[in-house]
Amino acid sequence: MSGGLDLEQRYRRVLRLLPGYYRLVWEQDMVAAFLESSLTGDPDEDDWIVEFSKPPWQEVASVAALAVRLYLGGTGAPRRYFAWGQAVRRAVLAVTLLQAVRGLEVLLLTAWSRHVFSWLPVPPARLAAGTPAGIVPPIVWWLVAYAWIVSFVALALGRYYRTAQVIAALAITPDLVWLLQGDFTRAFQGPSLGPWAFWVLLNFVPVLAMTAFHRDTPPAARWTWLLALVAIYLLVAVPLTALQTSGNSAWVPDAAGLYCVLAALACLAHVPRAWSRQAADSGVWSLTLTLLAAAAGAYRALSLTDYLHDPHQVQVSLAELLILILAVAPIVPDATRAQAATPAPARPRSGYPR
Amino acid sequence: MTGQAFFVLTALADAPRHGYGIVREVAELSHGRVKLKIGSLYGVLDRLAAEELIEPDREEAHDGRLRRYYRLTRDGRRALAEEADLRASTARVVRSRLGLSGAEAAG
Repeated sequence: MSGGLDLEQRYRRVLRLLPGYYRLVWEQDMVAAFLESSLTGDPDEDDWIVEFSKPPWQEVASVAALAVRLYLGGTGAPRRYFAWGQAVRRAVLAVTLLQAVRGLEVLLLTAWSRHVFSWLPVPPARLAAGTPAGIVPPIVWWLVAYAWIVSFVALALGRYYRTAQVIAALAITPDLVWLLQGDFTRAFQGPSLGPWAFWVLLNFVPVLAMTAFHRDTPPAARWTWLLALVAIYLLVAVPLTALQTSGNSAWVPDAAGLYCVLAALACLAHVPRAWSRQAADSGVWSLTLTLLAAAAGAYRALSLTDYLHDPHQVQVSLAELLILILAVAPIVPDATRAQAATPAPARPRSGYPR
Repeated sequence: MTGQAFFVLTALADAPRHGYGIVREVAELSHGRVKLKIGSLYGVLDRLAAEELIEPDREEAHDGRLRRYYRLTRDGRRALAEEADLRASTARVVRSRLGLSGAEAAG
């Protein structure tokens, strides 16, 4: 058996995806079980299998799925992995919340334009909830807007995680089609990375990161998040709509700028809590806001390519980026401490009297 | 209780088993419909051990490797019995609503 350890070595390489603490307990056992499940008992065939075969992709996928669950840990996980799990889950909830606010805006604007609110005057034409031109029919764009609301509510309620992920995955597909169509038809002039950055950073990555919601996930503060949907709509979407209605749209930042400003405001509001270090949960929020600021900053930086022809917009964008960096800097030390300071809630035991 | 956890506990109901033994037993119990991958199996074992429904039984050498056997705890037996009752009563309701007798459902 010249390569007697080859299959084992290959499988151990796959197991390196798992956190060290987990491998310490389970690796030998997993290797033994995997090798037994791979061998046939026929010495010649087994020699060939051990020397040349690789772990099947289904085995690799099962280890990768386990690794995601462990790194983005829930109840019973070591502190570091619990902190990362909570931070990613809250960041995903926050991004989904912003998408849901856009959905709510479309929903209410549509209702307004169809005279559901009879006591309101007819909305100005510039507020008509238009849809991007292209092969995606308008009805799909309406459905996308509402799908984000459903996905957000499902996540906030702490149930139906996979349903929320599937709905969100469907909701980001029309955007992808629109982007691909734009690239093929050269609808985007010049090196425009903004739309792609938005799709990748604020659509695709959050949908992928919804995998962090699993059976061990402690429930989110559902009423706080649901109230946040209404609050953000009233405090952000309504004033922006009012600015547009009153013909002051020059004051309305573009999407990247808006996300930078919102992330910066959230960071600044959190600074006193991060510095006081009294709240046990403060570090996880610092980590959450740092992740959100990183996404907003990356989106702002990449979308600068949209304004290469406009020095004023470049200056505004760089100012937004600077504000974001200055706002997030004070909470970064607290975010780094979070990984060591956040104890995970204990996993529930079986609950039977002993 | 997830389907995988139910099958793993059932596989351990009559005797302690090692990792691959559980995989084989689950495949047999489910008539080949549930083929546990090793990553999935140890995700389930880790969770069941943390919930104190299973525990290590013994270790044995086999082909130069140590096989670790697992067994049900007392709580594991109770949890499995409760889950089996629940599933059996659900199955009875399904048969009744479909108008099937036990023999028809089995056939």
